[in-house]
Amino acid sequence: MRVKRRLLLMLMMAFLMAFTVACSDDDDDSSSNVGTDGEIAGDLEIQYFVGGYGDSWWKEVIADFKEAYPDVNIIEHAGPNINEEMRSRWVSNDPPDVVYIDGAGSSETQMVEDGQLMDLTDWLAGIDLEGGDKLADSFIVKPANYDGKIYSLPLVFDTWGTWYDKALFEGNGYTIPTNFDEFMESMSEIKAGEGIDPFVTTGQHPYYFLRGMLYPAFAAAGGEELLADVITGKEGAWSSEQVLDIMTRVEKMVDEGMFDSGLGALNHTQSQMNFLLHENAFIPVGFWLPNEMKNDIPDGFDFGFIPSPMNAAGETYAIVPDLRPLAIAEEAENPDAAKAFVEFVFTREYASSFSGHTGAIMNLNGVDLSQNEDVPVYLTEANAMINDPAVVQIYEKPHPMSADLETPIGNALISLMLGNMTAEEFIAEAEKAAGEYRAGLE
Amino acid sequence: MVQSKKQKYTFLAFCLVPTFIMFAIFTLYPLFSGLYYSFFDWSGSSSNREFIGFANYIKLFKDTIIPDTIIHDYFLVVTKIIGIMVLAMFFAVALTQLKIKEAPFYRIVFFFPNIMSVVVIGILWTFIYNPSLGLVNSGLEFLGLEEWVKPWLGDEKWALPSIILPAVWAGIGLFMLMLMGGIANISKSYYEAARIDGASEWQQFWKITLPLVWPQVKVSILYIVITTLNGSFILVQVMTGGGPNNSTHVMGSYLYQQAFKQYNFGYGATIGVMILVLSLITVLFFQFLMRREKVEY
Repeated sequence: MRVKRRLLLMLMMAFLMAFTVACSDDDDDSSSNVGTDGEIAGDLEIQYFVGGYGDSWWKEVIADFKEAYPDVNIIEHAGPNINEEMRSRWVSNDPPDVVYIDGAGSSETQMVEDGQLMDLTDWLAGIDLEGGDKLADSFIVKPANYDGKIYSLPLVFDTWGTWYDKALFEGNGYTIPTNFDEFMESMSEIKAGEGIDPFVTTGQHPYYFLRGMLYPAFAAAGGEELLADVITGKEGAWSSEQVLDIMTRVEKMVDEGMFDSGLGALNHTQSQMNFLLHENAFIPVGFWLPNEMKNDIPDGFDFGFIPSPMNAAGETYAIVPDLRPLAIAEEAENPDAAKAFVEFVFTREYASSFSGHTGAIMNLNGVDLSQNEDVPVYLTEANAMINDPAVVQIYEKPHPMSADLETPIGNALISLMLGNMTAEEFIAEAEKAAGEYRAGLE
Repeated sequence: MVQSKKQKYTFLAFCLVPTFIMFAIFTLYPLFSGLYYSFFDWSGSSSNREFIGFANYIKLFKDTIIPDTIIHDYFLVVTKIIGIMVLAMFFAVALTQLKIKEAPFYRIVFFFPNIMSVVVIGILWTFIYNPSLGLVNSGLEFLGLEEWVKPWLGDEKWALPSIILPAVWAGIGLFMLMLMGGIANISKSYYEAARIDGASEWQQFWKITLPLVWPQVKVSILYIVITTLNGSFILVQVMTGGGPNNSTHVMGSYLYQQAFKQYNFGYGATIGVMILVLSLITVLFFQFLMRREKVEY
């Protein structure tokens, strides 16, 4: 009797133990971060999102780093859902050491607000590139500035723009537009010539249109000031004359049937597939488009990239870079190795190989892409165009728009694109959303 | 051997304690932590959080999207109950009473969607509704009904009704089987007696079949209510993501958007509490509505 009861108790204890063990963290990492001779050593955890750029560049860099620092044991956390998968680690204050911030479920602004990233301001000032240039002076676009402090280093320089098929355009003599009037003209030609709705974007993610078409338009019309006001939801920015003017252009596109009639239902891959199948002729996406769709590109398709032609006649093309930063966690367990890795990555050599691997540009200036055979043609052309201020103006945004503002504005935007709202109604909705966003910040 | 009281209780504890521990860990703990987090301003992605009392609840009452999500959810509940119950009842009666030779085949065909993941169903129907390549629009064009062609899931008016079709389609099989089980239990002699008395098929259905399978109908309806309020978000999330312009957001998908896309985890938890309260009220309401004396002949 006694024995039986004891057995039962033990069984239950074992059951409970199994639970506790399963639920506990394995944070009893006792390995030292510093090797015997003071070298950088120990475990280094790197979290990186794998999306349109693929992961081949990361594999190369990490392999090289291992060779240079044999005492460091790199643990990679990578994949298309890595931001979701690592969330519990961040919540429990046990983050990886280095994080590349990109993809769904990640937000640099949110991480800075939550104090999860290390202040790199002083450290950055002491870093030199291989040629002796200061790293801090060698970025194409400067790191995001949060009240004078730098928490992340922009690694990938990407930009939204408008894609078209060069082969189609050259074969049929369609105009490649440089401003909105030409854009409308070109779309009318295509509508008549091909019998298709010329413009497509994803209706499920209206921010593609917002970031890809509207940001450049705002920048071209009102410079970085208007862009910043719109992104931060400043009072009166969305209802300003300049914004109304641009939204009227969108309404004009709707009225003349330039948008794909089914775009409301399309997710981003479906819209990109439509574009590749010549169901449409223009699509706003970033540099990652060819790499993301590389398995579905029809024969003879030739990617052409222009800054989104939403600018009025007389204004130059505008692009608003979209940066993907690399950062070190505030709670990093091996900050020395993390810093060594970040310093290791930012070289012009890796910048050149980055373009070959991903079809995008790394955020370092003075990189000669024309010498690298792996770099796709559209990128060298786009790179040359972006570096010619007579053709393209670069406008920097202060930081990405908060999801709390972008979501309601995106919702109103899709209504406008579907023709269920006028430009005036959109502006009223957007101004209201900005008001609510500002109220939420207080 | 007669069991002593002690033995009996030990045995009961042996059976109940592990279950209770599981229940506590996987149901009670999340339930109460959800309630707890609804009082915080928390991004859900860091360890920082701030107690803000009822601020999230005040926000909930002021949020203009919330009433829409509730209406959408109950629209789905009502249409799903009607759609699924009518069709499931029809097929159940047809397959049991009409002596169709291929009945086992149909039983499998109708049950088939139930073994598919809801996510797969959602993706499948997204293709069916695809504006240019989808079956629906191609079918309409084939029939010469071009003016009916529309981007179903991308249309602010039609997106929500379009989600009902897969939801009903996926639900019929299970409830059909439940009702068939109920019908099989009805003694054939009732029908014979009714026929001798001159009752038509309709009368037999209304006076015999329906009252005697009422317990199954009741369970089915409650089950549909609960699964819809808690689970309709999967189809919405996969097929439309709540868009266009919030026209298909249900409470669950809005919760997901707030908690995981807009980094308002505390507010998401508040929406979760609202779903819990509304589900409870709805279930109680339906229990009350469908109370009916048990019929025995």
